[in-house]
Amino acid sequence: MPDLFVDVFDVFMRTYQGFLEATVVTLELTAIGVVLGTVIGLIFALMKISGSKILRGIANIYITVIRGTPLIVQIMFLYFGIVEIYTMSNFWAGAIALGVHNGAYIAEIFRGAIQGIDPGQREASLSLGMNRKQTMQRIVFPQALRRSIPPLGNQFIITLKDSSLVYIIGVAEIFSLANREAAQSYQAFESFLVVALYYLVLVMIFTFLLRLYENKLDVDKA
Amino acid sequence: MIVGKNIHKSFGDLEVLKGVDLHVKPQEVVVLVGVSGSGKSTLLRCFNFLEMINSGEITIDGHTINPKKEDLAKIRAEVGMVFQHFNLFPHKSVLENVIEAPITVKKMKKEEAKKLGMNLLRKVGLEDKADVYPSKLSGGQKQRVAIARSLAMEPKVMLFDEPTSALDPELVGEVLQVMKQLAEEGMTMVVVTHEMKFAKEVADRIIMIDQGTIIESADPKNFFENPQNERTKQFIQLVE
Ligand SMILES: Nc1ncnc2c1ncn2[C@@H]1O[C@H](COP(=O)(O)OP(=O)(O)O)[C@@H](O)[C@H]1O
Ligand SMILES: [Mg+2]
Repeated sequence: MPDLFVDVFDVFMRTYQGFLEATVVTLELTAIGVVLGTVIGLIFALMKISGSKILRGIANIYITVIRGTPLIVQIMFLYFGIVEIYTMSNFWAGAIALGVHNGAYIAEIFRGAIQGIDPGQREASLSLGMNRKQTMQRIVFPQALRRSIPPLGNQFIITLKDSSLVYIIGVAEIFSLANREAAQSYQAFESFLVVALYYLVLVMIFTFLLRLYENKLDVDKA
Repeated sequence: MIVGKNIHKSFGDLEVLKGVDLHVKPQEVVVLVGVSGSGKSTLLRCFNFLEMINSGEITIDGHTINPKKEDLAKIRAEVGMVFQHFNLFPHKSVLENVIEAPITVKKMKKEEAKKLGMNLLRKVGLEDKADVYPSKLSGGQKQRVAIARSLAMEPKVMLFDEPTSALDPELVGEVLQVMKQLAEEGMTMVVVTHEMKFAKEVADRIIMIDQGTIIESADPKNFFENPQNERTKQFIQLVE
């Protein structure tokens, strides 16, 4: 046991500078994945609750396809698909894949939250003479957004961990670094243990920040 | 002020309103009564175009409305509605609830809207709650805010759908008091309620709806002392 500890510490000391750089890449991937996913998610959520059959159909297809296929397949598909038509870095191909993937899940989060708002809210707003758009923008969506924050936070954490999959297209985020370290040093177990700790610490930090934010919202509302 | 002619409304196979005629004169207070499921809420919701009638005609202030061609938001702004469950906006303070529609719909300046809002809150006795969130209010206070919120759009008619049914008995009075004051000021009102004391004191006319048709329409004295329809007699015995 002390040996393992020494080995892990050894790997940690040898790699932390690389890991810090790679952590920045992981965080960038996560941030882009979440922001892009939120934009896409919002658009598709609104399509899914819209009156148009065509828009609803498109949204359904998108959500079904994304939720029905593995992220790693989506990454490869997007990478080779996009690079055919438009040259972009591996980083951006990976980030976009994460965003497109998240979009489907976030669309469902928003849709659920919007549909979960008491219909009486919409009726009260309409009865005051607000039109449908004003009612959505000023009454329904702000309430739905508050309710979306806990599941969005959860999605954020999932994205952080899922970003590891873009190692497959050679983006230098933390998992790919661990992978390389494992191969080069023959200390595979220690390397993956170190990277697991990195993820764990990052997730714990985010969980903590999210909880702070949620508590703040609760206080505001009261 | 608000006239419904031969209103029919169905939900699927269920015909809820079977040719309702209702003519509410300016400044008149009409109380609608009837057993649960008779179509009272549906009728009010049709008057506010929250439900679309299948056939018939609705005229507001001399203007017959064609719901397919007109801006319904504009029409709804002229018809205030107070709901059984208040439906205050929980993410907005009391004052913000009241000034939301004047600012968003009428494009009123915020300062002006706040002044209007404070005046209305004073009117319903809640000026000290302006900055509080709805979750901190009692049911009676919530309903008074909801009334102020409706009044902020200066509606021509106010519709009340069982405004006190969700309240603890000791809170009913404060809401009825506000409604009574409104009636005295000359507001045109259609009120669905089971508060017969209020009906007797405030209504110009009481209308009984049964299974989607109006079966009795009379001033309070005649309604209670000289009902014509058997079902009305049963209903009166039930509530008294
Ligand atoms: N949106 C709706 N869809 C289907 N049925 C409805 C709907 N709204 C009301 N109803 C039905 O219409 C009837 C009358 O309802 P309502 O107008 O609410 O009665 P009341 O207010 O007099 O109790 C009831 O049988 C009710 O179940
Ligand atoms: Mg009802």
